[in-house]
Amino acid sequence: MKQNFEFKQSGHLNPALTDPATRTLSADKLIGRWMNTNRETQGLAEFLIEEDGGRFSVSGIGVGADGPIDWPVTEAKVLANLEEEAGQRAVALTATFDFGFMRAETQVRVNKGVLVIVLFNTFLDDSGRSNYVNREFYYRQHA
Amino acid sequence: MQFAQICDRVEIDLAAAVQLDLSAFPGIWVNSNPDTNGIARLLMSEADGKLSVQVYAIGPDRLIDWGTAEASIFTATPSSRVGAGFTCLFDFGFAETRLQASIVKGLIVLAQFHSFKDESGRADYFVREYFAATHGRY
Repeated sequence: MKQNFEFKQSGHLNPALTDPATRTLSADKLIGRWMNTNRETQGLAEFLIEEDGGRFSVSGIGVGADGPIDWPVTEAKVLANLEEEAGQRAVALTATFDFGFMRAETQVRVNKGVLVIVLFNTFLDDSGRSNYVNREFYYRQHA
Repeated sequence: MQFAQICDRVEIDLAAAVQLDLSAFPGIWVNSNPDTNGIARLLMSEADGKLSVQVYAIGPDRLIDWGTAEASIFTATPSSRVGAGFTCLFDFGFAETRLQASIVKGLIVLAQFHSFKDESGRADYFVREYFAATHGRY
């Protein structure tokens, strides 16, 4: 990698970052419908990841009081993932769901076939609820 | 009360609400990976109910001080008042790094989202690393 690149850590100079393959590596490992491994979850029961022309979108189904709650289709940002061992490496996603009263920032990655979703939930109403972080696991629903 | 998942429907007594407990955060947190090419350590401090995060990252020949950012605090549930995670943003001009952290069994699990804003052609990338609080007890 060119040494005149600006950086704030040595990782910013990783040669893999200019390899086009890094941007899409094993993206197919994320695409599909994913089901929460905890059947008693009170949170996000399902998560759908779709890809169209290199653009990713995500949506979900939350557990509601009287039935499922749709989480709207939201564009996801794709990030190269340099951390996993070579055979496990796949891109990661981040997306932000905006409900008006709440914002949910997601961190989505796959680890050995399990989708890991970390939600950072920020309440924008005056309900007094604390912003909170939650992590859940999902398995891919096969057709 | 609006919610997008039933776990967010909780009873909150606004009159009894107490300040967030940030006691889990202050101190020096060191990367568990001695060979990291990323963040080496975090210095966190609390003042006036706010949490500040200072980052030192690995450079070619010495640590690079990113400076300090104010963190947004997250608890473990919507009814908790105990800090269990944080997010913050460092904007370097040519790039920005968003940190998302949660404390799990005494470790900070730190997700880092690096986005380049220059014309370098570098891919935005994600890294997740672990940090332990130095306590000097052993």
